[in-house]
Amino acid sequence: MAENSTACDVAIVGSGFAGSFIANELSKKGVKVVILEAGPRVKPNFNDYMKSFYEASSKVPESPYPPAVFDSKGNVIDPATVAVGRPSSLTLGASSWKDPKKAYLDQTGKRPFKSTYERLAGGTSHWMGLTPRLVPNDFRMKTTYGQGQSSFPFPDWPIDYETIRPYYEKAEAELGVAADVDEQRFCSISFSANYAYPMPRIPQSLFDQRVGQALAHLTDDETKFLGMGAPVTQLRVRSLPSARNSQPYRNRRACAGNTNCIPICPIQAKYDPTITLNEAMNGGARLITNAVASEILLQNDRVSGINYITYDPKSGAKTGTGLLKATVYVIAANGIETPRLLLMSKRQKPNGVANSSDMVGRHLMDHPQYLTWGLLPQPVFPYRGPLVTSAIGDLCDGPFRSQRAAFRISLGNEGWNSVVGGNAKFGSDPNVTTLDFVNGMNFSGLNSKAVSPAALFGADLTGALGDLISRQFRIAFPIEQSPNRDNRVTLSSVSDGLGLPRPQIAYDISDYTQRGFVAAVRMRKLIFKKLGATDFTARADNDPAGLDVMIDGRPEPLTYGGAGHVMGTYRMGADPKTSVVDSWQRSHDHPNLYLVGSGTFPTVGTANPTLTLSALALRTVEDIVLKLPSQKG
Amino acid sequence: MGHRRKRNAGDAEPRSQVGKISRRTMVAGAVATTAVAAVLPLSDWAYAQVADSNSNPDMMSFLLLSQALTGVSIKTLAPELVGSVPGIDPINIKDTYFKWIKEHAAETAPFRKLLQIAGDSRLSSKDIIAKVNGSDDDTKFLARSIVLLWYLGSWYEPADLKKFHDSPKLLNGPIPSKVVEAKAYTQGLVWQIAGAHPMGYSNLQFGYWSRDPHDPNGPNGNPLPLFSPSES
Repeated sequence: MAENSTACDVAIVGSGFAGSFIANELSKKGVKVVILEAGPRVKPNFNDYMKSFYEASSKVPESPYPPAVFDSKGNVIDPATVAVGRPSSLTLGASSWKDPKKAYLDQTGKRPFKSTYERLAGGTSHWMGLTPRLVPNDFRMKTTYGQGQSSFPFPDWPIDYETIRPYYEKAEAELGVAADVDEQRFCSISFSANYAYPMPRIPQSLFDQRVGQALAHLTDDETKFLGMGAPVTQLRVRSLPSARNSQPYRNRRACAGNTNCIPICPIQAKYDPTITLNEAMNGGARLITNAVASEILLQNDRVSGINYITYDPKSGAKTGTGLLKATVYVIAANGIETPRLLLMSKRQKPNGVANSSDMVGRHLMDHPQYLTWGLLPQPVFPYRGPLVTSAIGDLCDGPFRSQRAAFRISLGNEGWNSVVGGNAKFGSDPNVTTLDFVNGMNFSGLNSKAVSPAALFGADLTGALGDLISRQFRIAFPIEQSPNRDNRVTLSSVSDGLGLPRPQIAYDISDYTQRGFVAAVRMRKLIFKKLGATDFTARADNDPAGLDVMIDGRPEPLTYGGAGHVMGTYRMGADPKTSVVDSWQRSHDHPNLYLVGSGTFPTVGTANPTLTLSALALRTVEDIVLKLPSQKG
Repeated sequence: MGHRRKRNAGDAEPRSQVGKISRRTMVAGAVATTAVAAVLPLSDWAYAQVADSNSNPDMMSFLLLSQALTGVSIKTLAPELVGSVPGIDPINIKDTYFKWIKEHAAETAPFRKLLQIAGDSRLSSKDIIAKVNGSDDDTKFLARSIVLLWYLGSWYEPADLKKFHDSPKLLNGPIPSKVVEAKAYTQGLVWQIAGAHPMGYSNLQFGYWSRDPHDPNGPNGNPLPLFSPSES
């Protein structure tokens, strides 16, 4: 071990949002930081990634990034042979999601966990770039809505909105958030005096504008199913806060509407963590790439080192091992890889490091999304602009939360790209619709001539596609998932290419969360009616994410998508018996160990998690800096 | 899906290669050129200029075929061939597609047949479409593959199109396809037909999405017309 040993003040595992933020802030203060990154280094430019994306048959979130999911013959590469694997949306089908020879995650639960993540420097570069804040009641669910309910699954956070608010503002500066303060005052969201977002808001798409007009006048009768506690007679479509430049910001260009935030913004108008990571390295932080943390070592109750494995990025073959020693350790490896590392570290603690509570790996949450799509009477020209520019957030908090899950309503600008035919089972649009009209098929549902589907050429074809594609829209309802201790990350008996056990996942969707889906279905019906839209929402046969809820006594076949939000698996709390870290994201068990990222969220609300986890990381920096001198002692 | 071609986006075929003509194509070309002169006033104006441009007669037939089947003007398919001064098309996607079809169409006869149909310049686009629709399945489904190539930049095997057209229930996922190369994706026509741009490839300006793409007063108004007057 000693021959490849590195020493520093603060060791960080993972170079995504949380890891990069902490590395950069500490480097600025002269703290010596080393980051271990399992994946490859930051590329000098995006050309290779863009080429991979353009040439990919399936332009899924992971398509620009290594490693490949298929070999040159088109067969799925067995994740047991891949040094640094990761889940893929291409292996979530009926025949693959439970097959660990195809899927990286060994899924043993009732339903598929559908979110994926990347393992490379910069981590979550393939994010949507949406940065709404949690609302104040998200931090105090038990107090506000769980009184008198002994089985209410939501705890309070150990901090409140007012505590995190200044860190939201710092994170918004680092990410470069475009939004309008007055527009964002809803559900009791407040700002410090004279606060302004770094940039003006992102303009609304034609579809956003259309929905806003359609929902300007509602009746109490139409909306009382929401259980908001007060009449809802109009719904406001608000521009979403986005880490997307509405003007040049910190040497990056304004958004040009490439409609490709996921998987990759070709001009980096959308913030990604390589920006902060590069800044941290310029400030002195050291990044060791292709280095997989394999074990956290303890001495008494303090972390004394991290073992890691190096590998050849081309062949995937193991090339050596190393030991990283530091005063303080930060694990920032996401909501699945962080608990995996903690659980793998059982030399001194059979249940894993930081796990005296038995909470490590439990309460895995996502924002399962009810995806709906339809056709408008008039064109709104989708496939233009950022993938999402606006949402309806005002329904995400209210008395109904004592009974059913909250949701937001996210308006898509990418037509039927990700939904056509039922979760894009037959490919994405515009391809599926185009194939239908060229080849006389009907997988989109749009080519349903009475006798047989039309097969067109020439002006008939351009006319049909131009008309239909320009009227497509998609609306997603991301739903708050209740924390369930049996939704869980454990260690699988199957390994990766380095011989490390892969994550095993058990996942399901609770009745409380399903009642959120029921309300979302009713909301879909209301919005489509107001838009005069034709509904094409459908579930493909054998969809493993199929969900049947009852609406007015009749079963409604649904499906859900993953939001890419991996949360809850090392929750924060005041009580060491029921939580893994304190509000500073410091382990209750080990005073020099911090676990950061959305894994610490005890509840997840309905806001995209990146802004909140970034704010928490900035708050953690203060605690690290404060305690570093005594930790050294 | 993991099968990647090593060609770079800007790596177009040298023009001389396309100019290589066999005796057979020469004959077909001569017929086509003569016929053009005879029907010029009735034909699409682009045809005359393509015919004047000294290029491979098979390529001319291919462009006429493509114009008829895609409904998109030669002006868009091969911008350098149209106009008073022959120019250079730095992207030159037509050569990429032409070569691809020759290499990947399992049988050459259907492609020859399509070129012959389009080479008969007495035929309007409407007539070409009628003849293609009246052809044998191998020819008809290749024609569909060619349209998909232009629209999506991806190659779908004619045999797969026939199989899933005849028995859609056999399909249990995306029809297998191959993005011909990076620039084929970015040149896909369906995006323009829908008033949009390929996802991940746009040269529009901030905020354009809040306006109608056909708004002549917008910064991105008045896009290049896709359809020739006789086609639209």
